[in-house]
Amino acid sequence: MAVFKLKINGKSREVDVDPFTPLLWVLRDHVGLVGTKFGCGIAQCGACTVHVDGKAVRSCQMPVQLIGEGEVTTIEGLSEEGDHPVQKAWLEQDVPQCGYCQAGQIMSATALLKENPNPTDEEIETAMSGNICRCGTYTRIKRAIKSAAQNQNA
Amino acid sequence: MRPFKYINATTGEQALQAAEQHERAKYLGGGTNLVDLMKEDVEQPDHLIEIADLEYNSIKENKKGGLTLGAVVSNSDTANHPVIRQKYPLLTMAMLSAATAQIRNMATNGGNLLQRTRCPYFYETSMPCNKREPGSGCGAKKGMNAKHAIFGYSDSCVAVHPSDMCVALAALNAEVEVLQINGKTKMMPFEDFHRLPGAQPEKDTNLDKGELITAIHLPQSIYADHYYYLKIRERSSYAFALLSVAAGLQIKNGIIASAGLAMGGVAHKPWKLTKAEQFLKGKSPSEENFQRAATIAMEDAKPLAENGFKVPMGEKAIVRALNQAYNRKV
Amino acid sequence: MKTLETSSIGKAIDRIDGRLKVTGMAKYASEFPVENVVYAQGVTSTIAKGKITSIDVTEAEKQKGVIKVITYKNAEKLKESDEKRPAFTLTSVAPVLQSPEIHYYGQYVACVVAETFEQAQYACRLVKVTYEEDKPDIDLDKNRSKAFKPDDQADYSRGDVDAGMQSSDVTLEATYTTPIEHQHPMELHAAIVSWENGKVKTYASQQILNDAKTAIADTFMISEDNVQIIAAYLGGGFGSKLNVHKHLIMATMASKMIGRPVQITVTRQQMFTNTGMRQFDEQKMRLGANKKGELQALAHHTTSHCATDQMYYEACGNVSKMLYKTPNNAVTHRLIPLNLQVPNSMRAPGEATGSFALESAMDEMAWKLKMDPVEFRIKNDTQRDLGADKPFSSRLLVECLRIGADKFGWSERKMQPRANQNGNWLVGYGVSAASRRAPYRKTSARVIADMRNGEVYATIQMDGTDIGTGSYTIVAQTAAEYLGIPVKNINVELGDSDFPVTPGSGGSWGAASYANGVRVACKNLFSKLKQNAGVAEEDEVALEDLMKSSKVTSYKVVGTAEPSEEYENHSVFSFGANFAEVWVDKDTGMYRIKRMVNVGSAGKILNPKTAYSQIIGGLTMGAGMVIAEQTQVEPHHGNFITRSLADYHVPVNLDLANIDVVFLPEEDKIANEIGVKGIGELGITSVAASIANAIFNATGKRMRDLPITPEKLIEASLEAGV
Repeated sequence: MAVFKLKINGKSREVDVDPFTPLLWVLRDHVGLVGTKFGCGIAQCGACTVHVDGKAVRSCQMPVQLIGEGEVTTIEGLSEEGDHPVQKAWLEQDVPQCGYCQAGQIMSATALLKENPNPTDEEIETAMSGNICRCGTYTRIKRAIKSAAQNQNA
Repeated sequence: MRPFKYINATTGEQALQAAEQHERAKYLGGGTNLVDLMKEDVEQPDHLIEIADLEYNSIKENKKGGLTLGAVVSNSDTANHPVIRQKYPLLTMAMLSAATAQIRNMATNGGNLLQRTRCPYFYETSMPCNKREPGSGCGAKKGMNAKHAIFGYSDSCVAVHPSDMCVALAALNAEVEVLQINGKTKMMPFEDFHRLPGAQPEKDTNLDKGELITAIHLPQSIYADHYYYLKIRERSSYAFALLSVAAGLQIKNGIIASAGLAMGGVAHKPWKLTKAEQFLKGKSPSEENFQRAATIAMEDAKPLAENGFKVPMGEKAIVRALNQAYNRKV
Repeated sequence: MKTLETSSIGKAIDRIDGRLKVTGMAKYASEFPVENVVYAQGVTSTIAKGKITSIDVTEAEKQKGVIKVITYKNAEKLKESDEKRPAFTLTSVAPVLQSPEIHYYGQYVACVVAETFEQAQYACRLVKVTYEEDKPDIDLDKNRSKAFKPDDQADYSRGDVDAGMQSSDVTLEATYTTPIEHQHPMELHAAIVSWENGKVKTYASQQILNDAKTAIADTFMISEDNVQIIAAYLGGGFGSKLNVHKHLIMATMASKMIGRPVQITVTRQQMFTNTGMRQFDEQKMRLGANKKGELQALAHHTTSHCATDQMYYEACGNVSKMLYKTPNNAVTHRLIPLNLQVPNSMRAPGEATGSFALESAMDEMAWKLKMDPVEFRIKNDTQRDLGADKPFSSRLLVECLRIGADKFGWSERKMQPRANQNGNWLVGYGVSAASRRAPYRKTSARVIADMRNGEVYATIQMDGTDIGTGSYTIVAQTAAEYLGIPVKNINVELGDSDFPVTPGSGGSWGAASYANGVRVACKNLFSKLKQNAGVAEEDEVALEDLMKSSKVTSYKVVGTAEPSEEYENHSVFSFGANFAEVWVDKDTGMYRIKRMVNVGSAGKILNPKTAYSQIIGGLTMGAGMVIAEQTQVEPHHGNFITRSLADYHVPVNLDLANIDVVFLPEEDKIANEIGVKGIGELGITSVAASIANAIFNATGKRMRDLPITPEKLIEASLEAGV
């Protein structure tokens, strides 16, 4: 075990864990941030997507040791009031069904829009294909990202 | 996961030293394959040597007029690098067809070369697999082998190499720069880097124990105008290839001056189509010649019980990739 | 009387729980903070048949953090069925770790309990199990002699199929197969259980709480009153969370044995072997028609597998009893016991797979008859369910087909395959009918009306669940409608087994049942308040006025809705049609689903937004059936060779086409008083065949075995006459 000082959602948090504990379990079991989801544990579904220094990564595969000074952002820290343009678009388009994958979807989508404020359909599909949704919300995700892009750029 | 010790190396020398001291140590790049394998208990290192902080973290032009890709640069930074997009678009195309954005953000170039097979017998620790447990037998040879090799396999292993990036690197005639245990650097032609399974399928590459990949060298760009990476898979994204073809053509005065051709998903290593490359050299880029090259390429294929489809599929894929490469609007 | 702005039934309001779901605040089973919780993890067998000869837990028990290792040697005695191969039902007991017998690969053989999840996982690896291994029964073909008829409903016939075939001008005999599939909801099966003073309280990802309560109570031989299940949010179910699976029993047992709350999460890999699956189905179809295209005979014979120790079958042939008019009809279902886990329901069990066979066969017949596939279906429409010998409550299949054809541009379709090429692409159009029983079951709800600051607020409580379907939202809308207050004043509390009993979410009965339960509860509230206030039942008075005039500040009432006699006298189904345009690469066998038009008639649509989501969800999962979903069994060892989401390919964002969804305006008052019918499963029933039929139209290759992968397309030969 070792003590790690992490920057999560703008706050510093200390955790005493095994250095190789994946960030996902640090978030869910040690810090109590359960918005980031456990869908497979081996980086195949995208439900655990968070940002480290603004880049989308899979927290289930990210040993806490490797984060260092990195700024971690989870769904809970994406916006103060849940009103990030992507979150708003998600609501308007009724994207979430069961909702379980949506934190990961939203984190991937915000990372995409940061890099590419006006993605085409194909760019959205390619960028979002690592996030599995079993409810089948893909067509709505596409629409929501487009609408968020518009609102963000307006 | 089994317990292990963690070593953070800051120089190549430190990394080598650590590897020498610990028999079952492994280098850790992005961890996108190794960590999963450890979770599955397939890999059981007692030490992990983190190399993310090493100096091999840039992409720069090399003396031969080519490009040197640092081993710890991420796959996404490599694929999206402006010079690579412009001069080696085949590499970009192959790399972006692999995995997902999140995985590419973490995966490193060196790690990509060291990806292990996705053979399900390798992953399931209760099954026989000579690659995981030498001497236990090959479950796939007599079992389910639709996704396995048609070239260069042995009685002990019929697995295929899963990388897309490596198929492009084989077509591009890259070289791998390796830091040897004695502290000296050596260069390995890409074709000699990975190996066929033979009687030692546990060894994926010709690296000696403890040797560390520091960079990949790309020769001068000649396939920037005519290139294509064709990946055949079950769903449109985020799946390993049933089969893939990387094709690059250099056309001078309407004649093929050079062809770079390699296939993925067909052998224990990225499968360079040397005979087909040689055939195409000096020929006109016609459908007929592409077809002939494809036939030559597949001549030595020996399908297993369940993967006979790979032969006609491979042939068609080669023709298609060459056509697409040639007809690419520049 | 004040008129209030109500966003009630039929309006496309935003999901009321949407905000929680986009901010990460909706709490799923394993996310409730419970003091002193420990983690359980199952160890699974590495053989498919045999006996445990020894289990060595010493190494595992020595590990830091490990509290207990439970095996059949020290497990609690649980209730087991007396039958040799009991049916797997919604209330089945789920005994676990009771004997050394192994029935399938991946069966739980031990349970490790530790202070942390990672400690439990690691210690699982150290449990050493040795077996006496038997040769497992894995291959369906080699075990055909063991086929048996599962129950009295398995077979059906009317008329004489052989005679009908003989008198037909055009006949077809074809076999279709669909593979083992897994539901794989994104939320892993999970639970936190505490056993305290003989009472079980669990946060568990279950679709039907009342049945789960029965199953848990029966397994532990305790009273149902001593079991409480909470499932506020489920991360999907798709049938896999209908039954109580063994992990929940294992965690409950662990909590009882160690006296602390236990959290269990089934790993994604264990979800292949321990939380249900759709079984492999082989469907033999025989169809005959006269020259005019009127069906003369239709036979549908299904062979599937079940477990050696438990049975379940999806009734693939049921769709052939009711969808078309034919005088001669025969349906059979047979099961072959294999050393695999027991299958269970996956979205539209029987209909999704049965429709693939029937609707592909209909397309084959149309091709043989040189008839348009839409016209062929319309020609054989029936307004009476001949299988059940009852009229349909409503059936707008013809309208769905006609309107869909029009919207899709079906008239552009060329009957001859391979006639529509675009560069390297072969373009094809395909159609399939959709049908799904739309049941409705006895449902209770509690309404609590409160007067606050001069306004009425209401809380609705039911033990129903929202598995992503939108239950919270439609319950709120229905309550708003019947109480005459705005949706924002309604608080919906679902997913607690202490609340009034509903049939839960599954089988497409959720929306109709929940809405009608709420309707009756709300009406009861009015009746009671009117009685108290001395107002005549027929007088229309606003809730606010009623409460004010009788000086009631809070009132609680329960109501129960039940299906009517009229409902029982009819066949109640939702119908639809799906049209697909598919582009197939002529050389590589890769294809893209370019666009789909789906028309549905499913009674009154409570909320077009959530309804649309249900349909596209079904279509997406149906696309998965065609594109790649299949679980493959290793022929020698009996394990699933597809063992992670990297091998089991569910559809991803790039796979999905533009989808246009249309609902026909309809109210089916025979189905129930609100006129609503289920749609959660309707979507999936028509996709597979529409895509396979489009692939035939594109390539001239008839793909009868799902999934349709590039290699199968490359190896297939052209159909005769193409």
